[in-house]
Amino acid sequence: MNTDDLIAQLSSDVPRVRRHMVGWRIAAGLLAGALVSGALVVMAMGVRPDLGKAMHGFPFWMKWGYTISLAIAALIMTAQLARPDSGRLRWLWLMAIPVLLLAGLGVFELVRTPPAQWLAMWLGQSWMSCPWRVLALAMPIFIGLLWSFRRLAPTRLRAAGAAAGLAAGAFAATVYCIHCPEVSAIFVLTWYSLGILLAALVGALLGPRLLRW
Amino acid sequence: MRADEDELRGLMISGLDGNAGDHAALLRLLVPILRGYYRRRASGGDDEIEDLVQETLIAVHTRRVTYDRDRAFTGWLFAIARYKMIDNFRRVRRLQPIDGLEDELVADGFEDSSSARIDVDDLLGTLPDKQARMIRATRIEGLSIAEAAAADGLGESDVKISVHRGLKALMTRIQGGGR
Repeated sequence: MNTDDLIAQLSSDVPRVRRHMVGWRIAAGLLAGALVSGALVVMAMGVRPDLGKAMHGFPFWMKWGYTISLAIAALIMTAQLARPDSGRLRWLWLMAIPVLLLAGLGVFELVRTPPAQWLAMWLGQSWMSCPWRVLALAMPIFIGLLWSFRRLAPTRLRAAGAAAGLAAGAFAATVYCIHCPEVSAIFVLTWYSLGILLAALVGALLGPRLLRW
Repeated sequence: MRADEDELRGLMISGLDGNAGDHAALLRLLVPILRGYYRRRASGGDDEIEDLVQETLIAVHTRRVTYDRDRAFTGWLFAIARYKMIDNFRRVRRLQPIDGLEDELVADGFEDSSSARIDVDDLLGTLPDKQARMIRATRIEGLSIAEAAAADGLGESDVKISVHRGLKALMTRIQGGGR
């Protein structure tokens, strides 16, 4: 096609773009995916029966604090990598704060628990299934973020994929908390983080293929 | 005349506010800028350059939500242009890697340089002694004409003539293939 014709055609459809549209688009994809993941938890895994009571206790908010703050840090990265001129990534160190805080809690917990119970505390009742469930719940959210990226312009596809995977994993872990009855910090630090990292790895592997534009 | 950053940025922001006329004006101004950009960097013919320009215009249009009004427009534009160029290279696979190519290049280079030295010795051996000596001094050992003349006790013009005649003889020998 002639370049002048192309320009005429492109200029026939120029909708207004609000400020912070990148952020809104990412949030929309994330929430759409999270709704699907939430439905999966409710229907396939079941909400923990004592959810109302657990929400008054510390372990529940420790888990949500960890996963939500990780999700926010990962979303900040994703939003930066969604622009072509992303340059040097800022706020990367934010990611370390929840991990270090939770590790500190874990040490505190270990000190207060007799060593004979350490293994049981670390493995909980669900260490085998927890990472896989987080990974599975991350997939609808990752797909939602892929939809967000259809109008965005990442130029570092592997990094953008990893950040989107990390955000999906952390948000999936947040959703998973309404099912998971585990209470120990070292459990969350190990098995939740493993599931989240697996999601980030999937994102890094698929990014170059799926985020091309 | 080339449009500058302020003008382009103004048009882009106006386009983001929904002004289709300014958006079209922006895209038209980008055409010569992008053609120049790709001509300097991509090795393809005019068709390929124009394809890249068009693809970039489409990307500027469809991905315009990613422009941050507080940042430089040209930085954003050239980040897209660069991405499109790299993506194009990947698709065309002009940069296809060959397994073990580097090892082969190193080995080849060594063989070439050693056989080249043997060839030079052979060739110079076919020339009269004085011509061979002067070519060796000025062209291989890197002496100047004056230095070579002083070292051999000859006049400078004598050296020049010997080198010239020797090289000419070698040239006809190589071109004729008579070895």
